Amino acid sequence: MIPMLQRTSVVNNIKTDTLSFSSILEIGDSTFIQGFSRAIAVQREAEAFFGNEADFKSYSAFQIPIPFSPISANISMHTQQLSPIIKVQNIDIIGVSASSILQIGSSNHISMEARVEHIRQLLPDYTDKK
Amino acid sequence: MNFHVYNRDLCVGSIRIIGVASSSLLMVGDTQTIQLASVFDTPPESLIIGPFVPLTPK
Repeated sequence: MIPMLQRTSVVNNIKTDTLSFSSILEIGDSTFIQGFSRAIAVQREAEAFFGNEADFKSYSAFQIPIPFSPISANISMHTQQLSPIIKVQNIDIIGVSASSILQIGSSNHISMEARVEHIRQLLPDYTDKK
Repeated sequence: MNFHVYNRDLCVGSIRIIGVASSSLLMVGDTQTIQLASVFDTPPESLIIGPFVPLTPK
């Protein structure tokens, strides 16, 4: 561990109503976090759910690579902890969803990725006949 | 490049959030690197007007 990461996080009170779809509430430190979520969001004008439909492979949003530019700049960083504590009195969150992370504590490397394909299906407009 | 950081008192009263979603991150702490990537696609073909049919994979 690098000495700069020696700050302690103090949270007196956390209230979270919902944690869903592989989300994590982590109390404590970590070294590596990698999150990934994919979603096909379908909105239909009327209730209709067909179950096992659609495939991630059919949409380019889930295929295209995301180029990460390497961090190449040569920076020498020096950190002095004049007060090695991060204090938060109260955290109130309604929802944490889709591979999201809520962490009380420090980490080293974090990498998160989300891909969403949004589709809307509307009923034909029968009033518009000419 | 020389980058000098002095961390003095950090004290937050209250954090109120509606939602943390789609591989987002809320952290009370330190980290060395963060990389975030997101793709959101709503192409013209994604607005389908007509009788409801299941999404057909190509």
